Amino acid sequence: MLDALDKKLLRTVADLEGIPKGAYNIRKNGKLLARDVSANINIETNADGTGIIVTIKPGTVNESVHIPVILSQAGLYDVVYNNFIIGEGSDVTIIAGCGIHCGGLEPEGHAGIHEFQVGRKAKVTYVEKHFATGPGRGRRTLNPTTKVFLAEGAQAEMELTQIGGVDEANRVNEAILGPNSVLLITERVMTEGEQTAVSRNEIVLSGENSRANMVSRSVMKGDSKQNFYATMDAQAKCFGHIECDAIIIDNGTNETIPALKAKHPDAELTHEASIGKIASDQLTKLMSLGLTYDEAVNRIIQGFLK
Amino acid sequence: MLELKDLFFSVPVTDGNGGTSMRTIINGVNFAFEKGKFYAVTGPNGSGKTTLAKLIMGINPITSGEILFDGNNITGLSITERAKAGISYSFQQPARFKGITFRDLLAIAAGTDDEATLLALLRRVGICSLSFLDQPVDTKLSGGEIKKIELATTIARSPKLAIYDEPDTGIDLWTIGPMVKLLKRERDENHTTTVVVSHNRAFLEAADIVLLMNQGQLAYMGQLEGALPLLTDLSICNYKACGSIDDVRCFR
Ligand SMILES: Nc1ncnc2c1ncn2[C@@H]1O[C@H](COP(=O)(O)OP(=O)(O)OP(=O)(O)O)[C@@H](O)[C@H]1O
Ligand SMILES: [Mg+2]
Repeated sequence: MLDALDKKLLRTVADLEGIPKGAYNIRKNGKLLARDVSANINIETNADGTGIIVTIKPGTVNESVHIPVILSQAGLYDVVYNNFIIGEGSDVTIIAGCGIHCGGLEPEGHAGIHEFQVGRKAKVTYVEKHFATGPGRGRRTLNPTTKVFLAEGAQAEMELTQIGGVDEANRVNEAILGPNSVLLITERVMTEGEQTAVSRNEIVLSGENSRANMVSRSVMKGDSKQNFYATMDAQAKCFGHIECDAIIIDNGTNETIPALKAKHPDAELTHEASIGKIASDQLTKLMSLGLTYDEAVNRIIQGFLK
Repeated sequence: MLELKDLFFSVPVTDGNGGTSMRTIINGVNFAFEKGKFYAVTGPNGSGKTTLAKLIMGINPITSGEILFDGNNITGLSITERAKAGISYSFQQPARFKGITFRDLLAIAAGTDDEATLLALLRRVGICSLSFLDQPVDTKLSGGEIKKIELATTIARSPKLAIYDEPDTGIDLWTIGPMVKLLKRERDENHTTTVVVSHNRAFLEAADIVLLMNQGQLAYMGQLEGALPLLTDLSICNYKACGSIDDVRCFR
């Protein structure tokens, strides 16, 4: 059922060697390829057939769901709406990812619109990797949107990674945080050649004592371009931090605009931002340990995006 | 094993009127380091100690002169090539990274990520806490911690020539003695030619030979006793606020 190419894409975006254990939903070229549910995790196609609804029973702990998407059909632009309903007090990991293999001249793309309702005191870890490959010159596009609603005391940890090969990416992350909830987003994007990537983040801290931390790491190689926008909108006593670092290699360009809005007198918001080449003292140190210039550059980027 | 011949290093500086002139920072250094000996380099702040060390490692390009290492002219070699030839340098101000741990640096330095080898290295440099290995080498490390990591990565190279640039800055009182012992042991067991840049008497006393730098030149080379009168004079000059220009002791 899975051919060699499918397996390679799955391994890259979801660290999977074939069909996963536990609940999963694998989508290939816009269609369901395989699905399984577990006692606590249900997956069903939504009413209009445009995506899935993943429902996690309250109190489910130490379980995971894999929902990878693979694309290898020329000319296809696959749009999918997925909903995740995470029951009270549960603690689960969701592994999503999209792998594109482009064999021809026609463009291929995927837009995943993911909405999370995280119940009271529930914790979700969401891991998403994007990757494109293949000999074809067709344009590869990935436009993911994530919307997160955190109920009281809920926690979401999101790791969003774009590893390489994606020509154009427009990402939107939105979150609304309830009282005592915690949101951690780490985004890592590497672009090269003529690629472009834009990330827009709107985080609303609406509940008292909510906390959000957004970390962005960007590497621009070749003539690629990345823009990063993040807004923390504090509407209660809360804590928010944005940390965005961009490394420019070759002729890459970057625009980074963090915005802090305190609409409550007890809001605490901070940001750190930096754009620049690799620090020369880091390169010098690694070369003095025997690495060549290129090896040192690669090692520093590998760590930076880790 | 290391020979410095007529080393000069100058940099362009802009003067008050927007013009540029050359400033000579290393001003004719000649010296031959012998294999397996322990050297301490001292001298006032800004006298050129770090600059000289960086010329040897290839971090700064020399303006004129020659450097011979084990009989080979290494003047034109890159940092990487000098590292591979057996020169290692502990920075006075070590680099801090994002996403690179002590383990990563040690593995790069040792050329292997084998756990047993790394643990043996920790023991060799006297770091008892194993959890320290997975510390990120970032801005959160304390000044003393990063200096210990810096020293460990230098030793992990098992170099023929090890240069430590003020290894004791930020190091607590209890660690300086063991650090001196460690560097002596490296010299004795591995015949590492050891050069320590320091203002600390513990290193000066441990050294076979003391080199005193002043204004880009070697003002003294020999036993510590012989250097003491000069050191005293230099300290007088350094701490005198706006000393009168005709104080001859400052210009010897
Ligand atoms: N690349 C450079 N460009 C301009 N000036 C430099 C450069 N490198 C060093 N200098 C200057 O040369 C002088 C010597 O610096 P160096 O760092 O070698 O001193 P040092 O002896 O190591 O001092 P310390 O004891 O404070 O470490 C200083 O005045 C410094 O500002
Ligand atoms: Mg110095």
